[in-house]
Amino acid sequence: MGWTFSHPLYSLTTEDQNKEAQYVWEHENLGGIAENNNPLPRPVIGLLLLTYITAMAITFPLYGQRPTAAIFADYVTLMNSAEVQKVLHDKKLSHEAADEKAMALIEKTLQHFDSPYNFQRQQHHITMNQLRMIAPKIVELQRSGADLEEYTIVGPTVAKANFFNIQPDGTVIAKQPWWDKGYTIAVWWFLVFCAAVIITVKRLPHFTWQPDHSIAH
Amino acid sequence: MLKYLFANEEDIPQGSTALFFAFSSIAWFIIGTGLGSFNAAKLAFPDFYHNVYWLQFGHMRQVHVHAVIFGWIAMAFAASMMYITPTLGNTKLWSEKLGVWNCLLYNVGLCLALALLWSGMTSGREYSDHIWPIDLYIAFVMVVPWALNVWMTVLNRRTQGIYTTNWFFAACMFMTIIVFLIGNLPEFFHLTGLNEAYMTWWFAHNILGLLITPVAAAITYYIIPKITGNPLYSHRVGHLHFWSIVVFYSTPAAHHLMSSPLPEWLKSFASVEGVLILVPAIAYVSNILLTMQGKWSMFIENIEVKFTITGVFLAIPLNMQGGFQQTRAINWYIHGTGWIVAHAHLALLGFSTFAEAAAVYYGIQVLLRRKLYSSSLANFHFWMLLIGFSLYWVSMTIAGLIQGAAKIYEVPYIDVVIAEHPYMIVRWLGGTMVFLGNIVWMFNMYMTATAGDHVPEGRQPAEVAYTR
Repeated sequence: MGWTFSHPLYSLTTEDQNKEAQYVWEHENLGGIAENNNPLPRPVIGLLLLTYITAMAITFPLYGQRPTAAIFADYVTLMNSAEVQKVLHDKKLSHEAADEKAMALIEKTLQHFDSPYNFQRQQHHITMNQLRMIAPKIVELQRSGADLEEYTIVGPTVAKANFFNIQPDGTVIAKQPWWDKGYTIAVWWFLVFCAAVIITVKRLPHFTWQPDHSIAH
Repeated sequence: MLKYLFANEEDIPQGSTALFFAFSSIAWFIIGTGLGSFNAAKLAFPDFYHNVYWLQFGHMRQVHVHAVIFGWIAMAFAASMMYITPTLGNTKLWSEKLGVWNCLLYNVGLCLALALLWSGMTSGREYSDHIWPIDLYIAFVMVVPWALNVWMTVLNRRTQGIYTTNWFFAACMFMTIIVFLIGNLPEFFHLTGLNEAYMTWWFAHNILGLLITPVAAAITYYIIPKITGNPLYSHRVGHLHFWSIVVFYSTPAAHHLMSSPLPEWLKSFASVEGVLILVPAIAYVSNILLTMQGKWSMFIENIEVKFTITGVFLAIPLNMQGGFQQTRAINWYIHGTGWIVAHAHLALLGFSTFAEAAAVYYGIQVLLRRKLYSSSLANFHFWMLLIGFSLYWVSMTIAGLIQGAAKIYEVPYIDVVIAEHPYMIVRWLGGTMVFLGNIVWMFNMYMTATAGDHVPEGRQPAEVAYTR
């Protein structure tokens, strides 16, 4: 199974060794990682599988992602509503108390509506002061027709978090799936790795420590 | 050394390059750990030498980091490659003359680079601290000739196929040159912002992942089969290790920047790849430990095996930490704390140093055909290194957990400084033990070179009895 190119990718493999390699190729299990002379111990194979499952499970992006502008769009709408503005301008309340009462009112109102962002809202609690800072930018984006899911809140900034999908004319050809694109890439990366390593390992040319005196260097 | 610079290639004894690199590396190890001990003293006792501006921590830290990485770690790698590559290829080193020049200019360049860092001329980027003229010198005068010698020796081999160790040596030199030149782009072209941050950590991560840990592993792939006499348990698992290093270790740079505004998908991808470094780790550690079958007594009796296997054992917590500490949930807690400092020392002072020390011990003995001068001093060195390192690692890990808790619960900074004081003292003690152990090592190796018993041709140094 060795290569038979001439110099510089010459093969040191003879026809007999090729035949032996072919026999091994056709008779071994587990993609050739458990080789004919020394099988990889089952616990090690188990550990490798466990590693892959753990890698996917522990990095699953439930926590730690930045909030998108979309999850606060309803907050902004409600903040600008007459009821909330009334609370915010209530002269009988202190500034902080008015903020807290208004935010409580917004959150209570939001509970009456089903939203795909409920979980993310719980993770990214927002105060009225923060909402005031990002609200004008979110309104502006809504007016321009932008997809708020492609924008991320970083402190007081609403930043475009999309790097690939928005075309110059504004059409969106692919959206960030809820489980994260980096995740999809990682799955493909792993599958391609497995395929490449199995092919590489199976096609390795004959190896021995013994010198080959037929080749003059 | 100087007499070989202008000698004919045939007149330079084989192994000269490896020996010069080996002794240089020990000298730089003493300097580097001495600087480390000095810096640790500053952290433990902040009033110590506080009037001397050019000895302050901000000046000295980078000098320590680069003295150990470029001085000790890299030169011990060069020493190992310069004798292991030809041995595994059943041939001579391609050019001893190039190697001798390489070693001289390496030492000169490193002195210059450290002097500039010390004087405050830095790029300001962690791990790629050098200014661009020094970067170019490192790439083209220090690393390319070294890589050329390794590649040409592999090409001129007289064996059938290439052994795992030489796969790693040749590929890691190639990847290092690429990583170094691309990683320093912010310095060459003045990139700023996220590009700069990402490049900086892409460089810092890959210099660890594609040079330091795989070459240390490659050394153990040679030392363990060679000294125990057992063939490597599985050549193919070695390949699984090699290719998974290339695929999983070259991609997780973004996990150093989990709190930055990098795109989330990049962080997710990096984080998955970060956990998948356990694939090469498991393949590697199980391969080496299975190779030890039936020879475990040598872990006690033989100094090189003792160093190597200790290094392999340290690779287990290293990879467990490395795999998981970068995930979002854990990184949130330990990012920017002493935990990371402990982890970095586990990689450099733990795993790689122990593997390399074995290669330098073994290399000096076989190249000079002289037996180690004192087994007791070598054991003393081993324990000073292991206990010193363990004190350092444990104390900095605890300090890191305290800092993490304080960060999350917003404890006032000065209270954290007070809480960490005892651990800073233990850190200094541990680092100083390593430094003192290395002085003993240099003495032992000097005496080996001048007064060690001769080892007959065809025998292992460990097979020869002490006659004194």
